Amino acid sequence: MAWRYLRFRWLVSLLTIAGIALGVALVCAVLAIREESERALSRDAALYDLVAGGKGSPLQLVLASVYHLDSPTGNIPYADYERLRRDPRVRWAAPIGLGDNYEGFRIVGTEEQFFDLPDREGEPFFRLARGTAFEDRFEVVLGSQVAIATGLDVGDTFFGTHGLVDVPGGEVHRDFPYRVSGVLEGTGTAQDRAIFGTLASVWEIHETEDRLHSAIQGTASLGGRKKREATAVLVRLETPGLRLWMADEIRERTDGIAAIPINEILRFQRGIIGPVQRSLLAIAAAVVAVACLTVLTTLHQAAERRRRDIAILRSLGAVRAEVAALVFTEGLLLTGAGIGLGLLLGHGGLALAAGPIRDATGLVLDPWRMPRAEAIALCVMAFCGAAASLFPAVSSYRRTPIADLRLTD
Amino acid sequence: MIRLRDVSLRLSQANRSPSVQFRLPAFDVEAGEAVALTGPSGCGKTTLLNLIAGLLRADSGDVVVAGVELSGLSSARLDRHRGAHCGMVYQTFQLLAPFTAVENVAIGLRFGARQRGSLKDRAAEALRRVGLADRLHARPDQMSVGERQRVAIARALAGGAPLLLADEPTGSLDPDTGREVFALLREVAEEDGRTLLMVTHDLGFAAELPRAFDCTGLVRSVGATSETGGRVA
Repeated sequence: MAWRYLRFRWLVSLLTIAGIALGVALVCAVLAIREESERALSRDAALYDLVAGGKGSPLQLVLASVYHLDSPTGNIPYADYERLRRDPRVRWAAPIGLGDNYEGFRIVGTEEQFFDLPDREGEPFFRLARGTAFEDRFEVVLGSQVAIATGLDVGDTFFGTHGLVDVPGGEVHRDFPYRVSGVLEGTGTAQDRAIFGTLASVWEIHETEDRLHSAIQGTASLGGRKKREATAVLVRLETPGLRLWMADEIRERTDGIAAIPINEILRFQRGIIGPVQRSLLAIAAAVVAVACLTVLTTLHQAAERRRRDIAILRSLGAVRAEVAALVFTEGLLLTGAGIGLGLLLGHGGLALAAGPIRDATGLVLDPWRMPRAEAIALCVMAFCGAAASLFPAVSSYRRTPIADLRLTD
Repeated sequence: MIRLRDVSLRLSQANRSPSVQFRLPAFDVEAGEAVALTGPSGCGKTTLLNLIAGLLRADSGDVVVAGVELSGLSSARLDRHRGAHCGMVYQTFQLLAPFTAVENVAIGLRFGARQRGSLKDRAAEALRRVGLADRLHARPDQMSVGERQRVAIARALAGGAPLLLADEPTGSLDPDTGREVFALLREVAEEDGRTLLMVTHDLGFAAELPRAFDCTGLVRSVGATSETGGRVA
């Protein structure tokens, strides 16, 4: 009966469900994005214990070298990397050199031990989906997303473009074709959006370009060889407990800085993303509150309009509890449908947004995962809906049928 | 079937002045009787019907329906007693707009006397009996007023309630339709041996029933000097 009454007032029912669904979808989306982005950011940050780089902002250094997002802070001498590699407290270290991109995907110059990075269980983090790691100086290995987005595969060649972002008219290094030697399996991290080549190729391209520019400008002699540098050095320590100690040492003994990725990202999340998310959550909570009030108003109005119908049911022998249960069931159906639709909208929207978010930031979100906070929020909303349904139900329970039958005499 | 003794009721619940009171010294109806309740508007006909249905509770006195003293029943048992023993027919039909004819009747059965068979089958059977075999799935807004009242009668019949309480069932109908509905009510009551109480302003219908009870004077201001109570005409 409750369902039939909702169907009879389909427009009001639909609008009420839409109101609840909107609030629920907003709450779901905000909480899921927060949880998933934290998870994804932490997953990336946890890959390395330390990042050493040129002087500048530690966060910028982490964003540039771990997430392939920001500009690097500057270079550090390659010798610093060699010193770090020999340190017995360092389990794994790899230099990276940035400078070029292909269709917006950064070309990360590094060395072959980069692919030996172990995950936290000691297993290799990078696995080749096909092909081999680079052997020749101008061979590259593609991250999984790069292969999908660019259509490049093993054996294909391409030219890098100067700069870290793809801008129209960028300087293409046509003298230095890259050849794809392998494609990595997806890792669910920002590494899927990078092209890994040799550090030697980065040096060669840019030294040649520099010599050429200097020759054109007549400011330097050809054949001058610069001191080797790296954009950053990625470090995995024997134990994470050494992070602070090592970071201090690097700051003291080199001209650069050392950042602990997980600390920088947590600070970033709490300092910048957190307040934005809290504002969104407050808005979502307000929407849900309005939606619950809508349920209350709708059911109250419905019960008022149906006072005669409820009185008829009573005159037919329905007891107070039965008519109250009918009104309450209507409220629960509206709330349930709203929450169900909201869940679908929230997570469906996230599923649609996951691709663009991954392409733009490298964050791989699992749109259908329900964080604990979301489950709690849904329970709270269900409780509010049930509470909102209770008022008109109690009102129906209390009414006597005789007045509402509008009998005369 | 019905026995009322020294019943009084202050009519404040029905939006009347608190000083207005319903008083009835005695009223009896035997099982299978058909009685018209007559009298001018506001005299207490519907109040009497509602007391018998248990929709109103007397402040004092005895209201015994189908052997049960209603004043001693809880609200829920009173509702159940009404569902099991009273088939209600109203002037304004009191059908549920979202539901079809057969569903309206079936909903009445859900709360009424328990009988064998599916609710919809029994509802359809009741509708066939009142001549609505081809209108089972029509909603009230798709039916004529005469058809609606037939649905209401079918609903009152379907549960097998021994008592039919009709409150001006022809009041909203044109004379011809009113005559048909009245004839139908009489016919089904007689065939089934049900007790029929019918509030009516139509003296012609009242005269056709074996007995009429004039309700004039049942409702009056408290303190009025001439308290004559109900009269059997």
